Amino acid sequence: MIRVRATFEKCGRAKYISHLDLNRCMLRTFRRSGLPVWYTEGFNPHPYYSFALALSLGFESRCEILDFNLNDEMPFDEIRERLNAVMPEGMSIVKVAEQKQKITAIAKAEYTFSLVSNDTDKLFSDVQALMSSPEILIEKKTKKGFKTVDIKPDLEVLACEKSDTSVNMIMRLPAGTQTNYNPTLFIEALKQMTDTGFEVRDIRRTAILCADDSVFE
Amino acid sequence: MLKDLIEKHLLEVQKPSRYIGGEVGSVLKDKSKIDVRFAFCFPDTYDIGMSHIGMKILYSLTNERENYWCERCFAPGEDFEAIMRENGIPLYALESLDPIRDFDFIGFTMQYELSYTNVLNMLDLAGIPIFASERSQKLGQIVIAGGPCVCNPEPLADFFDLFILGEGEEVNLEVMDLYAEMKKQGASRDDFLRKAARIEGVYVPKFYHFTYKEDGTIDRVDVTDGAPATVHKRIIRDFDKVYYPENFVVPFTEIVQDRASVEVLRGCIRGCRFCQAGFIYRPFREKHTDTIYNEVKCLCENTGYDEVSLASLSTSDHSEIDPMLTKLLDYTVRERINMSLPSLRVDNFSESLLEKIKKVRKSGLTFAAEGGTQRLRDVINKNVSEDEIMNTCRIAFEGGYSSVKLYFMMGLPTETDEDIIGIAELANHIIDLYYSIENRPKGRGVQISISCATFVPKPFTPFQFEPQDTAEMIEHKQKLLLDSVKTKKIRVSYHNPDVSRLEVVLAKGDRRLCKAIYAAWKKGCKFDSWDEYFRFDKWQEAFEECGIDTSFYANRRFEYDEILPWDHLDYYVSKSFLVRENMTAHKAQTTPNCRLRCSGCGVNKKVGRECF
Repeated sequence: MIRVRATFEKCGRAKYISHLDLNRCMLRTFRRSGLPVWYTEGFNPHPYYSFALALSLGFESRCEILDFNLNDEMPFDEIRERLNAVMPEGMSIVKVAEQKQKITAIAKAEYTFSLVSNDTDKLFSDVQALMSSPEILIEKKTKKGFKTVDIKPDLEVLACEKSDTSVNMIMRLPAGTQTNYNPTLFIEALKQMTDTGFEVRDIRRTAILCADDSVFE
Repeated sequence: MLKDLIEKHLLEVQKPSRYIGGEVGSVLKDKSKIDVRFAFCFPDTYDIGMSHIGMKILYSLTNERENYWCERCFAPGEDFEAIMRENGIPLYALESLDPIRDFDFIGFTMQYELSYTNVLNMLDLAGIPIFASERSQKLGQIVIAGGPCVCNPEPLADFFDLFILGEGEEVNLEVMDLYAEMKKQGASRDDFLRKAARIEGVYVPKFYHFTYKEDGTIDRVDVTDGAPATVHKRIIRDFDKVYYPENFVVPFTEIVQDRASVEVLRGCIRGCRFCQAGFIYRPFREKHTDTIYNEVKCLCENTGYDEVSLASLSTSDHSEIDPMLTKLLDYTVRERINMSLPSLRVDNFSESLLEKIKKVRKSGLTFAAEGGTQRLRDVINKNVSEDEIMNTCRIAFEGGYSSVKLYFMMGLPTETDEDIIGIAELANHIIDLYYSIENRPKGRGVQISISCATFVPKPFTPFQFEPQDTAEMIEHKQKLLLDSVKTKKIRVSYHNPDVSRLEVVLAKGDRRLCKAIYAAWKKGCKFDSWDEYFRFDKWQEAFEECGIDTSFYANRRFEYDEILPWDHLDYYVSKSFLVRENMTAHKAQTTPNCRLRCSGCGVNKKVGRECF
């Protein structure tokens, strides 16, 4: 048996596939590929695979991580090609490699998005104001209900630029088995503090990172 | 671009992947190279429509032709419909995301009567005139329908340009071929319809004119424009060789029937007198084991489904059922594929068959007993005896099952209180049987579920002449059944009788109903088959305003010599046979299945060969 880590992209129409549906979708993709996927040995055998991080509905990404096991040794390129031949539109395997790190090494993720507005000057200053406020409190849905969190200490804004039609941002937020903050929390907080109308476009996850900012592999 | 507008709102709705296409197996083409664009519309939501085998067959079949492009289209859910209307998004097809109003054909499959208002709603959402008479003469936007409900298309006649009767695998392409040729010649809509009406299986309602007698029944049907006086349905002669898709569109979101599915036989040998499918799909034809095996294997490999179902009206009537299952299970077990076998009959349920089924499914067993007493089962020609039901249950219980679901109908012709009480008694006998079995499942009680539907007489069945019970009669019977059940081991559920009343009116109605369907839709009726949307009060208002007395269709016995709204359509089963069967039913006599003895329904004469 070999343990494999695939990096895949989920873009275009595929961004509307929910995480639950993605599970089913991958199961069928594996079956179509004919790869010797390793099955669990319990009462109800099923192919073993897992996604490192769930991607929110509507987000695009070229850095999603999928781990699975194969019964037989096989060149990584061949695995990639066989999967790509049967992937749905908008999804493809970028890379297949060995599993270097444990899933628990994931600490944060990087996102980009655009806030489209008629009044980008006003929106830009609102965003600046939000970023420099001492705390950013927001209601977060958890398994036990809603809980107020302060995302400010964990928020890393890498870029915040203004164009004629939008404010474009790059940010890093905690991700992984401990804390998971979604950029929509920041966007929610912005919506609550400003009366400037805006629309969110092109939310992308651009990297899955370890605590030292290195790319998770 | 429409795509941008759709995407702008897509994250506001439930299960957005239903509205954007891009599924594995969906067919994309370069529209500049296409001669005929066909929007295959299912008048219900994606989750339901995507489960329909007929659509999968005709979708793939049409797309085999390089210059034709068939795309899918479904009724949007209420949330997305509101967004579409608010933002001017016209109904579009899922492959190209182009508005279907620009298509050559808008084809609906009519699977159940309660989807009729959805057709109107979809045409409206598409921006296509709802009434055929209001569509322009320019060739395009030909609105057509097929499917079981079009065996009486009259209640829909005003909305469609043409109907396709019977099986579509050949005639659909013939209609498209004619269209492609006439479009090149610059023909008008009427030119096309006149020529299309000459294709066997095509019914163009505007060429048929109904006159009614004072008592409301049909006086005569006048045919114009050279259309045939009788329109014959189409069938596939060599069913073993008929086109079957090598691939399905595999949805992302979960649908009702989320599995590969192979049609193993068409038609039915049984002749249950209430069952429309049992008559309109005759003659009985089956595929060979090897054909079925190859289709199952091919579909599973291409779709990646880990579940396959064998589709038919009565799978256990396949002449090679045992060797077929042996061969299929050999493959499916090896490949870890689940196989499901819907539509098994009680009477030929052998131990070896059960052994095979046990390998493939863990769920409960369901039997359609339909009637509570032997006399009533004889009336409806459900040739199943209590002994056979008991024997099957015994096999099932000994095989480890402890729950059984039984289907019955209420309001069947000649039904009395005794027949209703008989339902509860039959269930009691099954409970007694369970506890009499030594090696029954240990430590588990038995559970019998009784599901009771209201009988709906349908066209082209021996019961087409029958009235439906009134709401009062059904209420009485439902109460009687509940009072007769005295143990918690039996659970009873039944359908809303108002739904069944609407169903019979739409099933047996004539052309005068079109305006009532339109009025009901205008009042907001849609998704009538969904409990949460069904508004019988609105329907009653609509019927009243249109001067339609529903009891004329629902509760009146149609005479044998009366001209019925569907008499000019030929589904190969002769009316004299249906009359004969109706009389036999009233004598509580049975008719043997087609394999045992030909009952002379007339199909073999139409096909020009014996069925067996």
